[in-house]
Amino acid sequence: MAKVGVYVCHCGSNIGGVIDVESVREHAATLDDVTVSRENLFMCSDPGQEIIRQDIKSGLVDKVVVAACTPRTHEPIFRKVLEGEGLNKFFFEMANIRDQDSWVHGDDHDGATAKAKKIVDSAVAKARYLMPLQEKYVDVTQAALVIGGGVAGIFSALELANMGHKVYLVEKEPSIGGVMAQLDKTFPTNDCSACILTPVMVDAGTHPNIEMLTYSEIEEVEGYIGNFDVKIKKKQSYVDWKKCTGCGDCADACPVRTPNEYNAGLDNRSAAYIHFPQAVPKKAVIDMDACINCGGRKIGSETRMSKKTGKPILAPCERACPAGAIDRSIPVDPEGEIINVQVGTIVVATGYKVMEKENFKSLAPDSANVLTALQLERLISATGPTGGKFLRPSDHEKPKTISFLSCIGSRDENHHTHCSRVCCMYMIKQAKLLKEKYPDLNIYMHFMDVRTPGKDFDEYYTGALDMGIRIIRGRVGGIDMLPGDRLKVMGYDADLAQNIEVDADLVVLATAIELQDDIKPLAQKLSLTLDGSGFFKELHPKLKPVETAVEGVFLAGCCQGPKDIPDTVAQAKGAAAAAAVPLAQGRVKIDPAISEIDRDKCSGCGICEPLCPYGAISMAANGDGQTRARIEMTQCKGCGVCTTACPSAAIELHGYSETQILAQIEALTL
Amino acid sequence: MAALNLTKMSQEEVIQAVVDHGGEGIIKCIQCNACASVCPVAKAGFPLFGRLLFRKLQTGHYEEIIEEASSWACQACNRCTEICPRDAKPFEIVFAFRRIQANELAISTSAFTPLMNLHATGHAVFSESAKELRQSVGLDPLPATSIDDEKAQKEIQTLLDNGPMGELGIF
Repeated sequence: MAKVGVYVCHCGSNIGGVIDVESVREHAATLDDVTVSRENLFMCSDPGQEIIRQDIKSGLVDKVVVAACTPRTHEPIFRKVLEGEGLNKFFFEMANIRDQDSWVHGDDHDGATAKAKKIVDSAVAKARYLMPLQEKYVDVTQAALVIGGGVAGIFSALELANMGHKVYLVEKEPSIGGVMAQLDKTFPTNDCSACILTPVMVDAGTHPNIEMLTYSEIEEVEGYIGNFDVKIKKKQSYVDWKKCTGCGDCADACPVRTPNEYNAGLDNRSAAYIHFPQAVPKKAVIDMDACINCGGRKIGSETRMSKKTGKPILAPCERACPAGAIDRSIPVDPEGEIINVQVGTIVVATGYKVMEKENFKSLAPDSANVLTALQLERLISATGPTGGKFLRPSDHEKPKTISFLSCIGSRDENHHTHCSRVCCMYMIKQAKLLKEKYPDLNIYMHFMDVRTPGKDFDEYYTGALDMGIRIIRGRVGGIDMLPGDRLKVMGYDADLAQNIEVDADLVVLATAIELQDDIKPLAQKLSLTLDGSGFFKELHPKLKPVETAVEGVFLAGCCQGPKDIPDTVAQAKGAAAAAAVPLAQGRVKIDPAISEIDRDKCSGCGICEPLCPYGAISMAANGDGQTRARIEMTQCKGCGVCTTACPSAAIELHGYSETQILAQIEALTL
Repeated sequence: MAALNLTKMSQEEVIQAVVDHGGEGIIKCIQCNACASVCPVAKAGFPLFGRLLFRKLQTGHYEEIIEEASSWACQACNRCTEICPRDAKPFEIVFAFRRIQANELAISTSAFTPLMNLHATGHAVFSESAKELRQSVGLDPLPATSIDDEKAQKEIQTLLDNGPMGELGIF
């Protein structure tokens, strides 16, 4: 016979102010198998816990019901009490008479008291049938995966590597660096982006604990926290990176011209190319979509000899390479290579993209002199298409008047409702850099309002005013193209309460930050969900900002939401710290409240397999060759879907057995 | 009303003129409206109070506002300067604008008599009835100021004639 102790909590006035606690206590004492029934102002307090401790110690109680608040926050506290007294900690049941009763029925004291009694009836009914459960542990693979080699991924990888963990850093482009490598200067200190990023890139590239996998993408993710099995596709570079020295001779020799992603499409690159001058690793790749196979040198084709010279006919890239890293006669797989890595935790740091100007038909996207802010970064960068000379794209004349337009695609129900957070600041940065260099430049900035929430940010903005940069409050509605490649910006000055126009030589659009179009397949591979703004969703917006609903998978940087470089680095280090916890612990706990299949009862019908939202169920042959369902305990979250669906009642959800649930229902309905 | 083409406005010149006349804070104004919230000129319903005057100046308005009388309603209470979060000293900007207006003789006609009095006697306002009052309590009819001192009057006239007000040609 179970000896159930019931402890009713006042929770100050949270419960006691509505429910007649003494009446509930008296009622509980009349229930079968209840040996003691007590109340306390705060059961979770030390004296409250002590009451339970004494009752267990004196042998009065072997199952505990606490009628109080929510198990979400308080179950661990009481379970610890049981554990401390040598009882199985799962001999505990919580009756939530606060969140589900006193808080929602504050205007009906009698009704709330009656309901509390029912809830206690139900909890006691279940407590009689509680079974001991054991927590299990699985070992953690001592390695981490960081997806994305921008500033977030680099810092996450470095942080984990410096803690002594093996890290795989995967980047889809040929070099790490991300968007930050495309920026000219950084606010609010105007330090050169490349100057502060390059040393960190080199650190990551040379760290003994970091294995960099650039020009690579995630193909498949299997497994669970502690034991992820990841397939990574190393894209075909058509250049032997073991031999390539990054000299760039192949790029110089290649006759192809195709839009240069690094310069945001403002100029062209060759098909054989190095991502950017400070690339890490500095290795060439051949973009086979753009390659024209000079000299008929298709990949894998036999090398022909010139009748004239008697020498082999080679493509310019092959001929130019002093290291012999390009040999087009080798029939390499265009699909590249798949490699497998095993890791314990994963940090997702896949970054973002800015919206293209073509999305905004009213803002003259067809004009070469309308640029996105990222394009302006490249235009004013020393490594950009003009070598840092500020010339407008249409005719390479120096602009005299430039207009900056904020919130393009942000805070806009037609595109994104979120604020992209960094646009106000980077536009001010660009304006200040230009005004410093060209004091005669007329700069107009059109804002809905100027948002500068950051250390030294507002001072940075007011400094722009002092320089004579003109701030106009009012969102721009349209741009007309004028003769002479000029642009008429049509806006409104809310302070004058008047329509205004600016005849500009160049217009810069601060387009919204969003996730890349091709990110959804990765989200599916990782079982990550997106939030209302389309970014990866964190587990809790305040208290679990780097965790996700998938245990062992963490978020860093703009893939979680727009943020600037300081916030990105802070979050990257936070994600690394969180991702290091399972690695440091060496094993992860498996909650025993999960489903188990009775393989003798299972008919192998397979109904449960597709229903499992966590992919924890697989159909496998039994020892006697019969197919039966199997649940991977590390993947099961204990939702119970399979339990209810099984036609043979072969699946038990521990902690919520049929006997327990039916007893609860009976107690509630009788 | 047609749109105002900012590229065709003389913003730099107007701002420079305001700065030259003592309104250095003009470029610091962020249009927060704090000055307007305490301004007697705004409260009395004059159309071109503090921050709106500053915005007009920032955007290069000159001809359009030079005859506007609102600025002469300023009571010099200085509350705008006390409250301005940007330390733009709005009161100084209003007075800089007044100086610019005065240079253009954009002054209220009622201001001419006091100015003439100032030039003649060193007092902008002096009431004849004061003489009787003074005598009734046993004082000289005129106070011991420039009003009764030709040498002092000459000095005042020299100062005024050779200062910016002298250039207006009203004395």
